[in-house]
Amino acid sequence: MVNIIDVGLGNVRSIEHWLDRSNLFYKRVSEVTSITEDVIIIPGVASAGEYMYRLKKTGLDKEIIERSSWGQKIIGICLGFQILTDYSEEDGGTKCLGILKGSTKYIDEHKTHNGWDAFHLDARKLSENLHVKKKRKKIVSGRVYFNHELRVELECTSHVSQLDNGITSFAIQDNIFGFQFHPEKSQKTGQELLELII
Amino acid sequence: MSFRIGTTLLIDSNGNGIQSYGFNKKRILGDLQKVLKFLDAYEVDEIHAIVPFKGKGDSGSSKIFSHLSEISISTPLSIGGGITERNIGKITKDPFFERCIFNSAIFDNPELLQKTKSIMGHQSMVASIPFIIDDNLKIYYSKTNIFQAIKDELWKDLESNFNEVLLLDANAEGGKNGFNFQVFKHIKFPIDRILISGGLTKGDINKAKKMGLAGVSIDNFSLHSEYSIEALR
Repeated sequence: MVNIIDVGLGNVRSIEHWLDRSNLFYKRVSEVTSITEDVIIIPGVASAGEYMYRLKKTGLDKEIIERSSWGQKIIGICLGFQILTDYSEEDGGTKCLGILKGSTKYIDEHKTHNGWDAFHLDARKLSENLHVKKKRKKIVSGRVYFNHELRVELECTSHVSQLDNGITSFAIQDNIFGFQFHPEKSQKTGQELLELII
Repeated sequence: MSFRIGTTLLIDSNGNGIQSYGFNKKRILGDLQKVLKFLDAYEVDEIHAIVPFKGKGDSGSSKIFSHLSEISISTPLSIGGGITERNIGKITKDPFFERCIFNSAIFDNPELLQKTKSIMGHQSMVASIPFIIDDNLKIYYSKTNIFQAIKDELWKDLESNFNEVLLLDANAEGGKNGFNFQVFKHIKFPIDRILISGGLTKGDINKAKKMGLAGVSIDNFSLHSEYSIEALR
């Protein structure tokens, strides 16, 4: 039962549709007592300040941090990826979850990054990561959809992919998966990725 | 960042996908869910789903947006037409879309634009600019249902409030007679943040790509498979 964090913000419905298409069971989680041991997804499409405020108000911030340290799989998408870092420049500066060492900054000159870019993930390079499913299809390659104005800068992770423009596309560190793009809106590639990681 | 080839999908008050010709005549394309599923299967780069809103009447947009949220698609979605202060809270509480498209608020409601931007981010803001060229450039204002001349200041407001603009050649809409590129003589907005729509030929799409535009939004030709999205990329 996949846990989708729902604090009244974020594109929860789109994530549900994404999981539905792969026949996965899920539930919305709005309070600490509802979380199960399965994957936790932190969705995107919101601002860091308000999202962190609501996570703290419900105690979900500490719960997610604690569960991540036990090895529970956490997937952050877009904003969900950005708040896994220590700090975000958004909303005048926001302290985030600090699960991934690094910070989230505005893209140079406050430009935005909208559209499709290439994606490539070779699961054979992550063969020691028990959180990546052992599937017959080892490589997911195609294009993915980005729509953001802040970028993640990480200090170190075991597997990071950057685009030509320096934007961190995704990062995988043991049980932590962060995607700057929207896999739920990345058509075939997003669906193949889902089946590799959940 | 690649050039985007999207599709404009108009929706009537009964929740049907419709096609518009010359900003005037309408033809029903079919049930919204089926139309969206086709576009999703064709893997267009994005879908601009707009409830045409002319005048001050209620377009029933909230009900249509609610219906849209139930449809599972894996293609990026922008919605517009009838986003107001009354429904913005509900719409953005659980967004099933990535971007919001505005027309009348460009002229008369900066507060709504700011509110949406604060929730969804600058990257989500798209200005819909249907235009005609009648000696000078005239831009459509949906609340009055009139194409009107604009002041230079509008371009500054557009640049600060919107990430992208969607220029629709109203006279060419629904046809294949070509987009009126003369409009660029009048535009004061960064070219790499402009999408064009209306009357697009394959040559127009190539021209837009060479000009460095952000992308195009094709109307019924992608739905009818007359234009292969894959071949246009």
